Parts: sequence; C-alpha cells; structure tokens
Amino acid sequence: MSDTAEPLIIGSVAYTPNVVTIWEGMRDYFATTDTPIDFVLFSNYGRLVDALIAGTIDVAWNTNLAYVRTVAQTDGRCRALASRDTDVVFSTVFVSRAGAGFDGIEAVRGRRLALGSRDSAQAAILPVQFLREAGIAAGDVELLRINSDVGKHGDTGRSELDALRAVLDDRADAAAIGLNTWEAIARGDIMAGALGAFWTSPEYSHCTFTAMPSLSDERAEAWLANLMAMDWERPEHRAILELEGLRRWVPPKLDGYRGLFEAVAAQGVSDRW
Amino acid sequence: MVNHGLLLDLVERLAATPVGSTVELDVSASAAGGAAASDASSATSATAASRAEEAAANIDLIARWCRASGNELAEVRAESVVVRHGRRRDPLALLDPSQLPGTRLWMYTNFDCNLRCDYCCVSSSPQTDRRALGVDRVARLADEAADAGVQELILTGGEPFLLPDIDEVVASCTTRLPTTLLTNGMLFRGGRLERLRRMDRDRLTLQISLDSATPELHDAHRGPRAWERAVGGIRLALDEGFDVKVAATLPADQAHEVAPFTQFLGGLGIRPENRVIRAIAHEGAADSGVELTVDSLIPEVTVTAEGVWWHPVAATDESHFVRAEIFPLADAIADVRERFIRHREAADRAAEWFPCS
Repeated sequence: MSDTAEPLIIGSVAYTPNVVTIWEGMRDYFATTDTPIDFVLFSNYGRLVDALIAGTIDVAWNTNLAYVRTVAQTDGRCRALASRDTDVVFSTVFVSRAGAGFDGIEAVRGRRLALGSRDSAQAAILPVQFLREAGIAAGDVELLRINSDVGKHGDTGRSELDALRAVLDDRADAAAIGLNTWEAIARGDIMAGALGAFWTSPEYSHCTFTAMPSLSDERAEAWLANLMAMDWERPEHRAILELEGLRRWVPPKLDGYRGLFEAVAAQGVSDRW
Repeated sequence: MVNHGLLLDLVERLAATPVGSTVELDVSASAAGGAAASDASSATSATAASRAEEAAANIDLIARWCRASGNELAEVRAESVVVRHGRRRDPLALLDPSQLPGTRLWMYTNFDCNLRCDYCCVSSSPQTDRRALGVDRVARLADEAADAGVQELILTGGEPFLLPDIDEVVASCTTRLPTTLLTNGMLFRGGRLERLRRMDRDRLTLQISLDSATPELHDAHRGPRAWERAVGGIRLALDEGFDVKVAATLPADQAHEVAPFTQFLGGLGIRPENRVIRAIAHEGAADSGVELTVDSLIPEVTVTAEGVWWHPVAATDESHFVRAEIFPLADAIADVRERFIRHREAADRAAEWFPCS
C-alpha cells in the first residue's frame, strides 16, 4: 500500500528455520499496510537486545528474559508494545513419571528436578523462584540443569525435551518445562502412560515486542494498529499466526513480568547473555 | 512396550524442520530415545513378534500424536515413519488452474494415419491398426466430461479425417463442450470436405500440423508434398470460417526456423495465440527427443481404445498407462490426480533426502 514509507525494522532470533517463513509472511502482510516492515534475524537474544539499544533495529521480538534485561540495561526507558494472546497466560508445568504419586510442588522436596537451559525463564529461572516461594530451599531439592542452546532463552525447547528424557531415563524424578512444550507433547492424554503434570504455576507473561524511545509514539501506534488488525479468520493471516503460535495479538501484560524481575534479582542473573 | 521417548525425539526434530518438510524416525524396538530403549540386553533378547508389537505400538503413538498436533504421518515403513511438519502442500493447489489434470480431456479417435512421420509419438502410419474409440464412447465421454470438471475436449489421432463418421464424432463433442480437432489438414476433399463443412464452426478449433515456413523441413519428417497440402488445408479451413491453430513439431537444433515460421503464419492469418511450437518427444517412432516420464510430466488425461493414459504424448508407452476402465470418467480423472499427488510427494521426499555433499 505504501511505496514511500520507511520500513520499521524488526529484530528476532532465528531459533528454527521457520522463523524465516514467519517473518517473510509478516513482511508481506505489512507491505499491504501503511506501516511496512523489514526484519533482521539474530543468533541469540544478547545480540538482539544490543541491536535494539544501539538503534540498529526499531523493535525487538523479545522473550520475557530479553525484555527484563532490556529494562535493566536501559533503566526502564524501553517500552513493551504487544504480545501474543498465548504470551499473557504462559505458565510452567512440573512433570513426573505417570503414577509417581506427586501431587504438588511440595512433592519435589528431597527429589531430583530437571531444569532446562539456565537462560530459560520458563524451565529454569522461574521454576527456582517458584520453589523459593513455596519455601523449598536450594538444598531441599537436587537440581539437574540441562544447558542446551544457551542464548536462545529456551526457544528451541531442546533443553525442556532433554529434561523430560531425564525423567523417562530415571535420571530425574521430575522436570520443569514451559506450558507450550508440555502441550506440544501431551496433546490430551497421549503421554498418559508415561508422564503426567502434577503442578502448574500461576500465569505469567512471555514474549513481547519491545521498542526504545527513539521509536515515536506515532509510528509505534500506527504499526500496532496494523498488527492488531491481523485476523485469524482470514486464511492469509492465519497461516502466519499459526506458525507464530497465536490467535490474536494483544497489549502486553506488564504485571506478568514481576515474578521474573524478582527471580532475576534473587538469583543474580546477569543483565547480559 | 511403547517408547514415549520417541515423541520427544520427534518434537525436537520437527522444531528444527521447516514446515512442509519431513523427518524420518526409527520406531523399531531398538530405537534410541526414552526408557524403552535403555535396556539394550532386553531389546536384543526380545522375540521377533514382540519387537513387531513394540514397533506397531510406537507407530500408533506417533500416529495419534500427529492427528492431535496437526502434523502428518506421511509414510509408514518397516521400522520407521516419515512425519511431515504441518500439513502437506497440496501438489494440485500448486499448479496453475489451467494445468489441473482433467481440465482438458484428450481422446485418440484412431491410430491409423495417411502419413508416417518419423517422430510420431504414437507410431501412427497407414499400416497402423485403427483402434478407434468409436462415436458411442466419445459421446459418453463428452457427456460425462462437463460434470467431471472438464472444460475442453481435444480429439487427436492418427488422422481423424480417415474415419468415415468423424463429423458425428466431432458433433458429439461440440454439442457438449468447446472442442479442438487435431489433423494434418491434407484430406479436405470430396466426402471428407463435406464432413468438415458439417462441423460446428462456433465450437470447434482445428489444429493443423505444420513444421516450417518452407517445405524442406516439414517434408523431411512427413513425406513429399506434405507441406504444400497442409498449407492448402490451412487456407481452406480459414476460408470455410474455422478457427485454426497451427502446431509445429520442431527439433531442438532447428530453433532458427522459429522466426521465419511465425512470420509465415502471420501471413496466413494465424493469430499469435493460435501458434504452438512443440519439442520432439522420445516416444513412439522418434529415436531421440525429450525424455518424458510420469513423474516428470504434469498429466493431461488421455483416453484411447485401450484405456486411460497419463499424457497424449505417450499414449502407446506402457509406463504411461493408467487404467483400462474408461468409465466413469470422473473416477479416471481422480485416479490420475491421485497418482500425480503420489509422484509429487515421492519427488519431494527424494529431494529432501538427497544429500548435497
């Protein structure tokens, strides 16, 4: 629609080849609007946040940890713009062998708990925070940390799948993984004979588009209006939305990051990775 | 014992796989991944029957997961499965709508011919058995065609004007759908001219074969004086008010003939959209030419007296034979489409599998 408007540059991390398909689809969609975009892919969230702060990109598609770190590195000057509907109701699931008799987070006391990558909010940082909030001290549970794909904040899901393998192989009694990974595998009762969820955390927020003050409110709002106009009922939009794992874009839920801010402070997670 | 660890392997591998591509997963009793494979000694001592049972249970697990997750179990092999990330691309949807198999229906009215062209793709000649499809079958095919989604009927041979009832054959088509009749244009005399004149000019296009702007090339392949008579046929058909297409069959080394040929056709009054230039196919009487196989050729549903074929260019090549049952036509078209989908999927899998280094 717009031949002359300067495209907004969006940054994202390439954690799967499908990221290219997603962003080419997004670029095609926005080319039909008055706020065209282009995209730049990064190999990890550290580089993505650096590029946002340096002004190389206008907007970063951040994980929750990348957002928290951007806030920390910019003294809160950055702004969350929008999230997926699935991001504002994210949670962590604790999983054990089916029939193990685990009935709540207390059950991991004295047992072996497999965690995902150390930079995964859903499978490492927040689970430790949930244990702490439940009064389970560091020495009360044996943590098996599986640090695969550090830098991608658990986006590949590989470390969470490794954590589940540890449970199946009896190297751990339970695993803490993201709701999205659990739903991807369990699909109802398919894992009923092998694994079962025994505790689900309170909801928290996951990914969000993040911008610096250098992006004017006017440009941001115009782009957000077009983003929110993506419609699940339109097949050409749905193909992109399905790949990205949402039905609609929603405003960010900033309350949902409070627990992660506390966890990062409590665990001394560095501002950079 | 089902191996749930396989699902973890599958989910991880699909996450790193572009949507539309496939992964192959070992589902045998000794497959890696998960607790069931952790005890190698028990796996090796398992009986063949129990191994088969475990593989079947693993396949069932993968199949249920695929159904629930929107991924596709593309193929089940002896001890492995092929899973596609997401839904398969519909090979038919990727075609231009005009290429959809069954949009056109080709019918070989007969195989005998007054010429013996040295590159004829179905080896027609004066000595070739007629093998006529017959007016009754052509009429029934034309009847069923519109309901089956066919938009155009194309009659070819052999030389159709050798048939004493070619006018009836053509009428049975033109009353149902727009029709094209392929001919060498050399027989428009006497009773055959009368039959031509009885054909519906509004619904019929005549496609006449002519290979060059001068007699040499054309006659070298088709016989003495063939060019002169074909050009005469084109002029006569135009004078009779027919829409005339001209189709040339040109060897690859004769590309320099194209420019003078199109100029010549313009002079005859053949519109640009009615000029067709085809390559020689290595089929029938041709001893060289483009190699065409069912897995490399988008099908054009073709019916002969023997049955249904993949494409008119190979209607005597057994490897292009689809089925003996012509009717119902809709079933024949569905069969061709299903085979096309299978060929395309097999080609996609082969392309994915073929290593670059």
